[in-house]
Amino acid sequence: MSKKPVKGEYIETDTGNKVSRRSQIIGTTNIILGGKTVIQAEVIIRGDLLRTYPSSSSEGKGNPVAVAIGRYCFFSRGCELRPPGKMYKGYLLFLLPSSSPSYLQHELMVFGSTFSHYPLKIADHVLIGPGTIVEAALIGSHVSIGAGCVIGKFAIIKDYARVLDGTVVPPNMVIPSFSVVGGRPGRVVGEVSEGEVDGFDLREVYRGVGN
Amino acid sequence: MSSKRASTAPAAPKPPTSLSPTLTIAEHASLVGSYLITLGANTVVHPRAKLNSTYGPITVGSNCIISERSMIGLQGRGADGEGVVIEDGVIVEVGATVESKVIGEGCVIEVNAKVGRGSLLGTHCKIGPLCEVAEDEVLPDYTVLFANGMRRIDNSGVEDLKLKMVARQIDVLRRLIPSNLTKFQ
Repeated sequence: MSKKPVKGEYIETDTGNKVSRRSQIIGTTNIILGGKTVIQAEVIIRGDLLRTYPSSSSEGKGNPVAVAIGRYCFFSRGCELRPPGKMYKGYLLFLLPSSSPSYLQHELMVFGSTFSHYPLKIADHVLIGPGTIVEAALIGSHVSIGAGCVIGKFAIIKDYARVLDGTVVPPNMVIPSFSVVGGRPGRVVGEVSEGEVDGFDLREVYRGVGN
Repeated sequence: MSSKRASTAPAAPKPPTSLSPTLTIAEHASLVGSYLITLGANTVVHPRAKLNSTYGPITVGSNCIISERSMIGLQGRGADGEGVVIEDGVIVEVGATVESKVIGEGCVIEVNAKVGRGSLLGTHCKIGPLCEVAEDEVLPDYTVLFANGMRRIDNSGVEDLKLKMVARQIDVLRRLIPSNLTKFQ
């Protein structure tokens, strides 16, 4: 057929990311991959859901970012990364005296507010299990998330946390470092012990993935 | 008549559609089957959403959001004339499966939830993540399903505001998702 060797499952980028040909990455220009990250088949990354609410400072320089991913992350088959979205409270609310009836406050809040997505940030050595849907705001380093989980909108998962298989992490939940979270809805069910921390290095896993 | 085995054909058949001109439908959404698919005004269909009308017609109202990987439509053969109706202002989140007869106005079907065949959902119901509605089940208005099959009635009375919020969300999605209406007509 062609002079090139047989096409493998993964495309390797300059920075060492291994991206499956069967992954579904939308809005590639708005996604940052830190390098050495593995993206398996059928993973969906929604880079098209950009922030539409104007940022107060910084931004405006360079490309807008919808999904930022660090180094040595591993996204298993069929998981999805989706920037979270919410209503942003309107300024019109301040026009009302605080004694005004609540329905009026609600009414103005919706009237003066807009919907916007916010960037999804993932640090280094993050493992995400198969079929998990992530709409978190922030995931710290060395976090491991099991299979079939749902990570609610704007959840914040701090370093070294573990999320067990099938957990539903409610929206806006903050998971402290070194905690183990499980159940529906997700609750802290334990702590990661000292000895286990070594298992959170994904460099070996990365090396094991190849064509 | 249309063949029932159409889905096994090598190329998926293009279903008859009735699409509103204000619909936003991503190019990578998939509409397959042989019955009519109706999509109402201002509705947004994300990429990789699957609407399958092989076993019955699908009707989606206006101001709905159909997210990626969700599966709308009967997944197996049903009674004659059985179809799926989704009313206005409904949000179907990522990976949800909807086979119900009627989904009432303003319902939210959360991530990976399943709504069984023949079920009837009242207005403003919310089916939580990974929750399931059994076949032929009837849910009254304002029912909330959460955790492992727990349920309650939501009487906060903010449903009008929620519908407005859905409209705001749609305004934003229309700007973000390039629409390719002609591909599906």
